[in-house]
Amino acid sequence: MTETTEFDAVVVGAGPAGAAAAFELARAGRSVALVERGPFPGSKNMYGGVVYGRILDTLIPRWWEEMPVQRWVTRRQTMLMTGHQALTIDYRTDTWGRPPYNGATAYRPDFDSWLADKAVQQGATLLCSTTVTGLLVEGGRTVGVRTDRPDGDLRAGVVIAADGVNSFLAKEAGLYGEVSADNYTVGVKETIALPREVIDERFAVRGDHGVDIEIIGCTGEVPGGGFLYTNADTVAVGLVLSLPALAAGGSRPEELLAALKAHPAVAPLVEGGEVKEYSAHVIPEAGYDMMPELVGDGLLVAGDAAAMCLAAGVWLEGVNFAIGSGAAAGRAAHAALRSGDTTAAGLAGYRTRLESSFVLADHRKLREAPHLVMGDLAQRQLPGLACDVAEAVFQVTNPDPKPGLVRIARKQIARHGLKLPTVARETIRALRAYG
Amino acid sequence: MSEASIAACVKWVDLHPGVDPATALPEPSAHSWGFSEADRAALEVALRLAEARGTEAVVVCAGPLEARRCLAELAASGPARAVLVEHDHQSGPGTSGVVLAGVLGPRHLDVDLVVCGDMSNGRGSGSVPAVVAHHLGFAQALGLIELDPGPGTLRAVRRLDGARREVVSVDGPAVLSVEGSVAALRRAPLGAATSAAMTSEAVEVVRTDPHHAPERPTRVVPWRPPPRAVPAPHEADAFSRIVALTGAMADHSPPRSVEGTPEMAAELILEQLRTWGYLARDGEQT
Amino acid sequence: MTARGAQGNEVVGPLGPTYPAISFETRMDSVEFRVHERPHIVVDDTICRDCSVRGCITACPANLFIPTSDGGILFNYEQCFECGTCYLVCNEEGAISWSYPEGGHGVVFHSS
Repeated sequence: MTETTEFDAVVVGAGPAGAAAAFELARAGRSVALVERGPFPGSKNMYGGVVYGRILDTLIPRWWEEMPVQRWVTRRQTMLMTGHQALTIDYRTDTWGRPPYNGATAYRPDFDSWLADKAVQQGATLLCSTTVTGLLVEGGRTVGVRTDRPDGDLRAGVVIAADGVNSFLAKEAGLYGEVSADNYTVGVKETIALPREVIDERFAVRGDHGVDIEIIGCTGEVPGGGFLYTNADTVAVGLVLSLPALAAGGSRPEELLAALKAHPAVAPLVEGGEVKEYSAHVIPEAGYDMMPELVGDGLLVAGDAAAMCLAAGVWLEGVNFAIGSGAAAGRAAHAALRSGDTTAAGLAGYRTRLESSFVLADHRKLREAPHLVMGDLAQRQLPGLACDVAEAVFQVTNPDPKPGLVRIARKQIARHGLKLPTVARETIRALRAYG
Repeated sequence: MSEASIAACVKWVDLHPGVDPATALPEPSAHSWGFSEADRAALEVALRLAEARGTEAVVVCAGPLEARRCLAELAASGPARAVLVEHDHQSGPGTSGVVLAGVLGPRHLDVDLVVCGDMSNGRGSGSVPAVVAHHLGFAQALGLIELDPGPGTLRAVRRLDGARREVVSVDGPAVLSVEGSVAALRRAPLGAATSAAMTSEAVEVVRTDPHHAPERPTRVVPWRPPPRAVPAPHEADAFSRIVALTGAMADHSPPRSVEGTPEMAAELILEQLRTWGYLARDGEQT
Repeated sequence: MTARGAQGNEVVGPLGPTYPAISFETRMDSVEFRVHERPHIVVDDTICRDCSVRGCITACPANLFIPTSDGGILFNYEQCFECGTCYLVCNEEGAISWSYPEGGHGVVFHSS
């Protein structure tokens, strides 16, 4: 006789998606178990560095007063890089250093624990060190989860799978189609300790203001990108690398990362620091096109488990999409429980909610962007072309007279083996993708 | 249910204290507080002993109130009771060992076996098991690496220096300390773990009375045996004096093996120390 | 790319030597792993012997897949990030049995 424990809802995974879902359910008065396999929320999580917090407005008023922030991003850069050049677009505004802010850097163990604690304050039951090993299915519908604890069946009216990028629950429920490595990247990151004053000097920021740099052209033969951002007294530098290309051989992740750290545009920012933590995580890169079915009978999927990570070059976001989808899942689950219909039809409100919010709107609008960013043009030609054009524009060639800008552009496009129609076509494609 | 129960003593510690590589300053971790592997093994041993003897296991922790939630999670593994003795390791009255002994003794829990983890991640002195044993008047079997929890006389194996092992039999009230490898703590069943996650109320909180607690020692110094006074050598030449000083040519008593009771062994060791002049003979001043 | 970080050599960038690279062991020493006695990933390297791709060797960020001289794969689960890279890139059915470690075990991040 197996003893079972029953809740209105079980949320698997206490990351941002799961915590937001549990928060909304508990706030609506539902009994909810938030099950986490790590010893504390966030212990299994790492990311590329920035939490965009405005989505928290609906959950926690004045969240910025209590959120565990490392630095508020007031300087945002995008860097195009070749082996020896770098062209940076650098935007800064102190407005982002004041409420309601824009983005913040944070350690995920701190942030995720904080958000899960908010759900607990609403009445959710946080159960750590408990791995969910599968779904409880009766008559084709999900009625709970099986955990790895003795007598570990946990029954619930609704299960929300916020179990991360590998989501074995969504796969078990058959919500994913064929899983292909092409849709995934792996992120590797070093957190490097440096004294606060040194970071302030190197990045030209003060107080709790910080910098976030996204980099393209820094991953050698492997399609991908890089990032570099400031915490209070550490700097994080990392890479996002295409899985199939990495598997094809050649370079290992830490070798590519060491090369980025040695680049003349990056070395002065990170040198002398000691590696405090190395981390790695897989990222659902392909966005909208790889998303699973979001709803099953008695089951909702949120966050990375539903591939809700936006990797669109100039925008790299995930935590906000996780919170947005998690909160929507929580509300949809509550509504379905109230109406007494927790079948896929009863839970269909989840998808509607997501479609009317930024979560699916952004993903659908930018569905081409991940392919564009990981494509040959953006990866192999754009960084070199942009850097060479910049060099030709800014280099003083006396005694030769200055070439005109159009001539520079034509010459460099030709030098990079591109044809004007190709460039025009790709520009239009990019404008459409990002329009 | 027999009267005396078995206690596991655990210490709430930072399992992953960080050191800032840039400044070399210690950084307490925010999320990694808990109980060491050795302490978890101690609880498992206590549970197995209690099952074998048909008695109850109780888990006891001397620490701050913040430890209550972690202790509740630990206690979900099965002990009949969990007791948190509210105590500040830094400034509380008495040491942890003294405070624990007060709760474990006949006036409170009245246990007859105490199991501790042999190593603490909390960078303590490691003296808790010995102090508890002293205050309760219990025997000690410390640093155990194997233990047969079967009923009757306890048989355990202790680690000695030089990869040697000592098999000890434990009869009657005793304090045991175990290494983490002795036993892996059983997992808490889902129901108990869920209850512990909902509320820590299952953990009884005991407050020590500062007026009745013994004073903390104000100064702790290691005990060193007094040096043996060696008379100046009287030989005429330098070589002979060196020989006399080093004892190089003198007869040495060969090592001997003696079998006997512990009391007899202790008396022989004391006698030898007296012979060598490290201990004063009765009535003699050192 | 000019870096040779994995071997612990000095990293040489285009500007010359910039800082000593850390060895892979030092890199992994910065991560906390609460190792469980039961492996959560099992590699059946009889299958790997027929694999011509072996993407796991270069892709695993923890470098846990080591080719052996007799054509097999040596795998150790203890310093695993639980990221999923290996089973995603593995193209040999059944070579990698992948699950999460028992609750409370495995990798624990603190400043990521």
